Amino acid sequence: MAERKRRGGGRSARQAERQKPKSQTVPYIKRNIPVYNLLNEEGLSLIENNADTILQEIGIDFRGDPEALEILKDAGADVKEERVRFPKGMCQSLIRDTAPKEFIQHARNPERNVVIGGENLVLVPAYGSPFIRNVEEGRRYATIEDFRNFVKLAYLSPELHHSGGTICEPVDLPVNKRHFDMVYTHMRYSDKPFMGSVTAPERAEDTVEMAKILFGADFIDNNTVITSLINANSPMVWDSTMLGAMKAYSRNNQAVVVSPFCISGAMSPVTVAATSSQLYAEALSGMAFAQLVRPGAPVIFGTFSSSMSMQSGAPTFGTPEPQQVLYIVGALARRLGVPFRSGGGLCASKIPDAQAAYEAANTLQHAMLAGVNFMLHTAGWLEGGLAMGYEKFIMDLDQAGMIQAFCNGVDLTENGLGLDAMREIGPGSHFLGSAHTQANFETAFYRSELSDNNSFEQWEAEGALDMAQRAEKKWKSMLESYEMPPIDPAKDEELQEYMERRKNSFPDQNY
Amino acid sequence: MSEEEQFNEDEELDLSTLPDDELVQQMHDDLYDGLKEEIEEGTNILLERGWGADKILNDALVEGMRIVGIDFRDGILFVPEVLLAANAMKGGMAILRPLLAETGAPPIGKMVIGTVKGDIHDIGKNLVGMMLEGAGFEVIDLGINNPVENYMDALEEHKPDMLGMSALLTTTMPYMKVVIDELVNRGIRDDYIVLVGGAPLNEEFGKAIGADAYCRDAAVAVETAKALVKEKREKQAEGVAA
Repeated sequence: MAERKRRGGGRSARQAERQKPKSQTVPYIKRNIPVYNLLNEEGLSLIENNADTILQEIGIDFRGDPEALEILKDAGADVKEERVRFPKGMCQSLIRDTAPKEFIQHARNPERNVVIGGENLVLVPAYGSPFIRNVEEGRRYATIEDFRNFVKLAYLSPELHHSGGTICEPVDLPVNKRHFDMVYTHMRYSDKPFMGSVTAPERAEDTVEMAKILFGADFIDNNTVITSLINANSPMVWDSTMLGAMKAYSRNNQAVVVSPFCISGAMSPVTVAATSSQLYAEALSGMAFAQLVRPGAPVIFGTFSSSMSMQSGAPTFGTPEPQQVLYIVGALARRLGVPFRSGGGLCASKIPDAQAAYEAANTLQHAMLAGVNFMLHTAGWLEGGLAMGYEKFIMDLDQAGMIQAFCNGVDLTENGLGLDAMREIGPGSHFLGSAHTQANFETAFYRSELSDNNSFEQWEAEGALDMAQRAEKKWKSMLESYEMPPIDPAKDEELQEYMERRKNSFPDQNY
Repeated sequence: MSEEEQFNEDEELDLSTLPDDELVQQMHDDLYDGLKEEIEEGTNILLERGWGADKILNDALVEGMRIVGIDFRDGILFVPEVLLAANAMKGGMAILRPLLAETGAPPIGKMVIGTVKGDIHDIGKNLVGMMLEGAGFEVIDLGINNPVENYMDALEEHKPDMLGMSALLTTTMPYMKVVIDELVNRGIRDDYIVLVGGAPLNEEFGKAIGADAYCRDAAVAVETAKALVKEKREKQAEGVAA
């Protein structure tokens, strides 16, 4: 039988269209909405002045790194033992003079390159959990298999623009060698941009060497292909591990997210304004140091701020005060003129329940309005970062998708204004059949693949699944659908040879 | 071949050149795609080829809409698309209805539908009406805010198989019982299948007021109407045989 010609395509065409997985529509979000400012000029100046006072009067410790102290001293800082005090305005001018306002982080697939800074928002998976949790297995230590799974899931998620870094800690591998497998997994199982190892300077160097193989040595000297997370040891300390990693990346023109990490009450004072001032001072000193290591090396002003339970000492998330810090620090980053990292799907809940959902939603929404550029921890975070949740990852993706839709802003074109639709329908009746609806219905609303909006009876007939159960089905089907992105076999071989050679050159160690 | 060329070539598809089975398949696709003129054309071609109106109705139109219903239930088709499909179906039905009446074959079914007294919400009820029409039912829509007399008059005038009532408010839904009680008083309750629906209702409420079924959404309303009318027709046939 000759193949029948089809005009609309009928059922088979529509089913194919509607059931195909969502494809990546944009490599990153371009904000088309304003930022929300919590403090006015006077308030922000107060915080800036106090940060200067901290830097000038109290100073910041740069510990265990004589080279760093030398560099800072040469630049005009007052160095006494490991305490470094900065003349007023020194850090700001170092940063303003050379740090890029925004920069491109290249991916091995150029279509996935991201612009970090300015009006852009890059959403990144969660980072650093020793445990994983899922509905089927509960909570257990993470393995390299989990790490691969999350890299695959992030690769498959159009809501995420970045493969992240230490998505979960593969504790089944030796401490001093697991960075090879993590970096290789990002390079091989995904084609999105990724973050490098920071747990020792030589591991940062390994990351850079592997990036040279993947991108070419010449390319990476002039372009940024790695982002890395450099945490201050708050209050007011930079330690040798972080300084070593920061130097390794900055010297190679790779990006560092300079992130004070403050649980207010323990690592900074309990109040919002004080925490903001301290965060700013710590970040200024770190970013200025990066500019001294290599002027023009990309830096991201990072903050991680949480409140704490003064009854138990446990960190708390999704609470109002850290959101206020987030807004203030976001404004400071814009005034300074550097990209800003904060936010994420933060929560303290152990399981993907209502607490997890609303604490995460609180943080994500505020971070969006605060003008975050690089949103680490967007998806998967549970238990204050101790566990990476498979189902929570899927729930957060839904939030991420909504952030993207919200950031599109409001369509004020003739079609967006839709006067013709109201002319056509008039009072009474309904819009479901109007030409305007017919032309726009498919893309008019953000469509969650996770929320159940059906009638009670249909929901019940379909097994009365709660959100975690629906999310479980989703991540399992995503992993089943995963196909590896293609890579140049010669490069793959070279990467594996490099890892093999390096791994064999020193013994396994678990410290 | 560019997409545009493909499109143009498809546009030129001549339904009259297709053998019967492919034409019926194409009509299923055209219903799915909401192409009213094409459905009317296909219906006329099948009539010219000597097909009976009931066979066209069942094989081409009802079967096509059954597929639409499944994909609507499964979230593949959207409401505006189903409305287009139902509209295309109505186009075919308009041609077939007088012919079906001539044959004396029992119609698919007829429903009087309306929102009850005190309630002015009708979008859900309209959707149910359109979906029923899409499935080949004849629908007499009484609109909103209907006192019991409106329903009684319409039942008298149109002699439907079914009465459908809708309410969006907890304050108006009890009025459905007033209407059903009146049917009982008049001794005509068993002459009609009574379907009720609306957001604040549930299965239990439907039973409590003496309705035959509560329908949670438009797709279920069509399924329920089909099943209960079929049952009714079978009973009628038994009655005749006895």
